[in-house]
Amino acid sequence: MRKYKDLNTNLDGLYQDIKKELQQDKDLTVANETEGIINDVPFKTITAVRASLPRAITGTLREVTVTIAGYPDEWLLEMHAGSWFGNMILPGAGGFLVAGPFGAAATVGGTVVLAAEYSRKMKNRIKALVKNHSGKAYSESKIETFVS
Amino acid sequence: MPFVRRYKDMNTDLNALYKDIVSELQNEKDLNIGKELKGDVNGVPFMSVTANRTTVPKLITGTLREVTVTITGEKEDYLIEMHTGEWFSNLAMPYMGATILVGPLAGLAAAGTTGLMAANYGRKLKNKIKELVKKHSKEKYTDEKVETFT
Repeated sequence: MRKYKDLNTNLDGLYQDIKKELQQDKDLTVANETEGIINDVPFKTITAVRASLPRAITGTLREVTVTIAGYPDEWLLEMHAGSWFGNMILPGAGGFLVAGPFGAAATVGGTVVLAAEYSRKMKNRIKALVKNHSGKAYSESKIETFVS
Repeated sequence: MPFVRRYKDMNTDLNALYKDIVSELQNEKDLNIGKELKGDVNGVPFMSVTANRTTVPKLITGTLREVTVTITGEKEDYLIEMHTGEWFSNLAMPYMGATILVGPLAGLAAAGTTGLMAANYGRKLKNKIKELVKKHSKEKYTDEKVETFT
């Protein structure tokens, strides 16, 4: 999640471009959009879910949610990329914690869309879009990142 | 926060279990089923349902945003994963019940007590799934047959 200040960002334009980005991904389908005001603060959120069965499960992108809340000069952007059975991966071994019938389903393939990889790509894309839709110069001092 | 359980030797009717979980999600008025995926992944049966919050929450921090329940495996050895997502959870300051936002965004971050909170909903659904697993299993449910991964 990131907080942006003093950028004079066109939040509607930014949201529409993020939506396009999600729509253009053939592995995803937009499942929900919600827009409104929460305690006087404008809020928009979009969720895209995986459109088809994955070839492998572990770590594969399951859903993406992007939320924008606030005003042109002070706003928050949250991106969530969920994956299946992420907590069953054995660190460092590239394996799966559970053996038996799940072995095949869990195997991470070379061609699957992994949540971590997608998240990195989308984060960079969003950065470019923020710059594109902001009326003021983008600088690191105007951005604060929150991690869980 | 994802939550995974592995169940063994329960002889569970996984299709019926899945249908009851979908009904449970459909019964929640703030949620809407966004996507269902069913099939085989490398020969292993796989069913997954995602429900999204469709209404604007009154307050945001910790409010339920989406739920995904996935069942994969065979009736004698299967996994259930439950994911409940919430908005801006990393804005809540631990132990203080407060949020780290001030100024115009503060109203957004206040934690509510009457909304559909992800933690509460996750707990409720976890208990309901346990009840449904018992209902749809022919073998007795015991703790030795269940392993939890968090």
